[in-house]
Amino acid sequence: MRIARFTARRLLQAVPVLLGVVVVTFVLVRVLPGDPIRTILGPNATEADAAAARARYGLDQPMWQQFVDYLGGLFTGDLGVSIQSGQSVMGEMAVRLGPTLELVVIAVTIATVLATVLGIWSARRAGRAGDHTLRVLALVGNSLPEFWLGLVLILVVYSGLGWVPAPSGRVDPDTNLSLITGADLLDAVLTGNGPAFASAAGHLVLPVATMVVVIVAPLMRSVRASALEVLGSEAYRAAAAHGLPERTLLRGYLARAALVRLPALAALVFGFAIGSTVLVEYVFSWQGFGQWALRGLLFRDYPVVQASVVVIALCYTLIFLIADVVHAVLDPRVRI
Amino acid sequence: MADLTTAGEAGPPRAAAADRGFATTLIRTGSVILGLVVLAVLIGPLLVRWGPEEIDAAASLAPPGGAHPLGTDVNGMDILSRVLHAGRLDLGVAVASVALAVVLGTLLGIVAGYRGGLVDDVLMRILDVFQAFPAFILALAVAALLGGGVPELILVIALVNAPAYARLVRAEVRTVRELPFVEASRTSGSSGLGTLWRHVLPNSLTPVRVIAPLNCGWAMLTLAGLSFLGLGVTVPTAEWGAMISLGSADVVAGRWWTSVPPGLLLLVSVLGFSLLGEGLQERAGVTR
Repeated sequence: MRIARFTARRLLQAVPVLLGVVVVTFVLVRVLPGDPIRTILGPNATEADAAAARARYGLDQPMWQQFVDYLGGLFTGDLGVSIQSGQSVMGEMAVRLGPTLELVVIAVTIATVLATVLGIWSARRAGRAGDHTLRVLALVGNSLPEFWLGLVLILVVYSGLGWVPAPSGRVDPDTNLSLITGADLLDAVLTGNGPAFASAAGHLVLPVATMVVVIVAPLMRSVRASALEVLGSEAYRAAAAHGLPERTLLRGYLARAALVRLPALAALVFGFAIGSTVLVEYVFSWQGFGQWALRGLLFRDYPVVQASVVVIALCYTLIFLIADVVHAVLDPRVRI
Repeated sequence: MADLTTAGEAGPPRAAAADRGFATTLIRTGSVILGLVVLAVLIGPLLVRWGPEEIDAAASLAPPGGAHPLGTDVNGMDILSRVLHAGRLDLGVAVASVALAVVLGTLLGIVAGYRGGLVDDVLMRILDVFQAFPAFILALAVAALLGGGVPELILVIALVNAPAYARLVRAEVRTVRELPFVEASRTSGSSGLGTLWRHVLPNSLTPVRVIAPLNCGWAMLTLAGLSFLGLGVTVPTAEWGAMISLGSADVVAGRWWTSVPPGLLLLVSVLGFSLLGEGLQERAGVTR
């Protein structure tokens, strides 16, 4: 029951933040210089063309009216129409989310497993050569510009060795993969399309590798820190002093304690991953959510900018909220 | 990308005894790397034959060697000269934006932490809105809306980082203002502002000093990332991210020299900041 109350309170706290995000993005895209109609129609459009287009997208209305319409749309799941394409923003976004989620989920999963193993390994050798080497490597990973790493991987693995398909697109069009979720690997499994699966997997290798390298470093630091905390705790030292077998110590004490912090870590990593995915998608022409949001920003496509910014903020806030709740379940001290 | 909010507030208690020897090695190595980079970008441009935006019409995409030690890009501009000149811009923007973020964040943090009450509540809720985004996404959105240009970019990166400093300083101020020597200063008749300036402020900046170098590295990555996406500094201005972006088309054809050198220098500079920051953290016993 206390958990339910805690969740409700955290939800209530998130509401004003999200409302703030909605208002700020709405006002900022309109107040700052730049006009989507002019950008999209090009220099040859006449004043009449621009006025007609403005009326079509409701931009001739007073700002408060636009805001009321926008807010009403938000509650009914209508995110408006893209000025670039004339298509429904909701529909466009649905197509774009699958590929990006596929990339992020695979990368975060691999990175989490890798970080847990390496972080615990490093903590158990704290202060020794292996630990120092790994920490310096993590710092290098932390310092790598992901867009450059992606290019270097393309240079070596594609241009040099020819081991992976060309870095454009997510799946070979010859494989006739039918679209279900937008996540190509998943779609290939669902339709039993073997060649498409192989092609999608090939296209995933480099972008996933790029993201794993970039996000594994901060994760590993965190796992190492919590493992060190456990190693120094009286409970662990007592267990070790009682001569519990190595395996029990590792699984029952260290791994579990490191994993307790996983929800908070996952939230943090999700933030890194969203930021990285814009750059990584750009490098590999992934045509996912990140590239879609970026083009919306460049064209100052109001509905697309508003929708993508609000969706990112919503996901980010929700993930942190879930992390807090899970943490509260695991650690009763938080609930007070 | 460093998430600063977790640094001071939620971190675990000092986990292990600080590894002092390793911390010193990290700080020294980081300082040496940064020193070499600074030296290279200050002196290097004086020694190269070509200007950063000078076009050698006879040599487009020339491979390294001869008149162009690191080759030329698609416009026939000398890569070595551009890479060195770009360093001045990248380092300058990073340091300037972090300095601005520290000043802005500290001011906000002091006001919120020292005044408390309604002012504190309002300021913190505003910061909540800013921190409802991943940092790079926020930088991307603000940069796209403000438009490119070096002063705008410094402002964007500073704005994105300032909330984290505000939180750090606020948390410190709230602890420091209750300490006996602050009380003593107040009862001895020193003005509120005097107490704040002489006693509270200096004692609230420790975490800021530790985080700032790490943050400089992040600022460089952000600037380069924005420029790479076409939202920051644009060609022909020499900037590492913009150079990598221009060279990205050559990579598929196997031409490495247009994009590898700027990225390598970026990596080395950021690594310098990271080593320095990590060493300072280890020494201060801050774990993240």
